[in-house]
Amino acid sequence: MSGMKTPVSVLRLPRGPEPNSRGFDPTSPRFIALCPTTLPSSSSSSGSADEEEQRLRAELRERFLRTLLLMTGKRVRFDMHEHVRVHARFGASDIDVLNLQVCDLETPLGVQREALLRSQDVIACSFEV
Amino acid sequence: MAMRQTPLTCSGHTRPVVDLAFSGITPYGYFLISACKDGKPMLRQGDTGDWIGTFLGHKGAVWGATLNKEATKAATAAADFTAKVWDAVTGDEVLTLAHKHIVKSVNFTQDSNCLLTGGNDKVLRIYDLGKPEAEPQEIAGHTSAIKKALWCNNDQQILSAADDKTIRLWDKNTKEAVKSLSFDASVSSMEYIPDGEVLVITYGRTIAFYKAHSLDLIKTVDAPASIHSASLHPDKDFFVAGGDDFKLYKYDYTTKEEMESYKGHFGPIHCVRFSPDGELYASGSEDGTLRLWQTAVGKTYGLWKCVLPEELSSENSEVLYCPPAEIKA
Repeated sequence: MSGMKTPVSVLRLPRGPEPNSRGFDPTSPRFIALCPTTLPSSSSSSGSADEEEQRLRAELRERFLRTLLLMTGKRVRFDMHEHVRVHARFGASDIDVLNLQVCDLETPLGVQREALLRSQDVIACSFEV
Repeated sequence: MAMRQTPLTCSGHTRPVVDLAFSGITPYGYFLISACKDGKPMLRQGDTGDWIGTFLGHKGAVWGATLNKEATKAATAAADFTAKVWDAVTGDEVLTLAHKHIVKSVNFTQDSNCLLTGGNDKVLRIYDLGKPEAEPQEIAGHTSAIKKALWCNNDQQILSAADDKTIRLWDKNTKEAVKSLSFDASVSSMEYIPDGEVLVITYGRTIAFYKAHSLDLIKTVDAPASIHSASLHPDKDFFVAGGDDFKLYKYDYTTKEEMESYKGHFGPIHCVRFSPDGELYASGSEDGTLRLWQTAVGKTYGLWKCVLPEELSSENSEVLYCPPAEIKA
């Protein structure tokens, strides 16, 4: 019957997705050739302007992280939305800076021994160095 | 000696594959993007089906996906009411364009500077990707959800197919409908071939070919089953179609004769497209897979290897995988 036809041979099967990666291998020839300026961010941006921006961003990020370290254990004033202003002792931030762990949070309802503040609710923090 | 087609199955998606698109031919080959109800569109090397990356970010089923010609940008349309633009080299999300309802279709202009979107809110939108914060231009008129929207005629006009059973041709500048086609059934798919200005439409069991400028009918062909998608070969010698009966059909475009039909998918076929070089076509199915099919069965191309009878029995054959002979029911 039709089983007489020989099926076309293949070298291998197509590669499937990697389990723990979203792919886009940065060592692929296409990636190396086309990045980092695959999509121009603004028409007048040149290579060195991008590098400068990157350097400034790295510097600002480092300053922010060092500020968090310096804040540890200190009494900090948090200015939040809806004109809320509270004082607390700063403990730590989580890895994505989504929550701030504090103790002895002074609130109109009393002092909370332990609390988490949502970072997105915080407008500013100030403390004595 | 006649050979039997060996489709290449691309796995990875976990839900039905509802749309797929090829890029143009780039110095790195050509690429394929697939839209899936699992919300994770994937980029693959076009001639092998090898997975390159997954675009992560959508929070709902992805209904439409497209690549620009150079395969440097991708765009996706999703049930989370957004269309997204991606860097197709790094996989990073570049833009999120909020809509008021499910987005079904996305299409870049030839220069990749504008993105056309269409979806369930019945409005066509044109985004200037150089000014993404600016409000898009809107074209209203359809009375039901838009299924597919495509640039045509050198990006001066727009073709849109909607659940209101019409296909409309719009002028991009005046935003007026220049021409319109009405059908008795909902149009299931639309493909535009710039070279030759041909429009391929499917509805019910019919595959219809129209002149894109005039919307004059060229010819229609009826298939044995309800067809969800069809694609015309770049040389316009054949076309392929797939739908409800899980099979891929290959027809001679000139004579309208059915040449071949292929089984393989385990569910209805939602989308089928020829590669830009015409050497293969890809199909996406309800079964969650993409399959690549050879146009010239037996030819050495991509992962397919032409093996002469003597080589098959040779011990030194470099062929690693030979599919077992299937028993036809």
